[in-house]
Amino acid sequence: MSFLRILERPQVCFCRARRFTTTAVSRAEKPKVVAASAAAAATPLSSCTKDTVLTGLNYLKGQPPVLAAADDEYPEWLWTVLEPKVWPDDGPGGKAERVKRRIENKQRIKDRNFMSTQ
Amino acid sequence: MSKAAAKAKAQVVRLLIPAGKAAPTPPVGPALGARGVKSMDFCKEFNAKTAHIEQGAPTPTLITVQPDRTFTFITKTPPATYFLKKAAGIEKGTGKPGHVFNGTVSLKHVYEIAKIKSTDEHMKHLPLESIARMIVGSARSLGVQVVP
Repeated sequence: MSFLRILERPQVCFCRARRFTTTAVSRAEKPKVVAASAAAAATPLSSCTKDTVLTGLNYLKGQPPVLAAADDEYPEWLWTVLEPKVWPDDGPGGKAERVKRRIENKQRIKDRNFMSTQ
Repeated sequence: MSKAAAKAKAQVVRLLIPAGKAAPTPPVGPALGARGVKSMDFCKEFNAKTAHIEQGAPTPTLITVQPDRTFTFITKTPPATYFLKKAAGIEKGTGKPGHVFNGTVSLKHVYEIAKIKSTDEHMKHLPLESIARMIVGSARSLGVQVVP
């Protein structure tokens, strides 16, 4: 009986404690989110500002000069085009594995060709 | 034997012609004349077809000459290097790609060039990201740096 009472007491306290901790966490998150979005808007993704004239791209007759648009009007993949493409791992027999194997094979052939000249 | 001779293959000629300015003798004349095509006919048709393109833009054309001397041709968008050189403001690519750099181009330029190239028949099915990566590769060979 006393054992049961001991079990009851901490449960009640635990629930109360949990409620307090969740509200504290949500209060902490909100100002962080606001700060992050403000930072993203401030630092531009591109060196090419909006409405710069892109010369030579109006190759049709009578086409008006092509202007650069704002950064967020371009697709997300454009900003990663300069880095080598990262393939998500889709298990054995997937595209990522094939790409990796092809690169390894090509390198192996090049090494073999080089060693045959030595 | 006679059947094989009758089915003589259609010949293909690949030329880079400035849009709207066909009919100079050196490049176009002999290449077509050797296959029995009247160059004046071709030039009139070509100039009519490229009338909507800015004059002087190099236009790759694929001319198929049938055994009976009739011809058909396909025009494609100007080479990527042409656009890159214009965008970077340079006349020629560098003599030492990878070591000597000529000009700079932004990722937004690359995107717009990719949009133009994707209108081509042989590029229509490709994702725009792949075309953009091809253009970045061309820029590397030209000595043009691509900056975000």
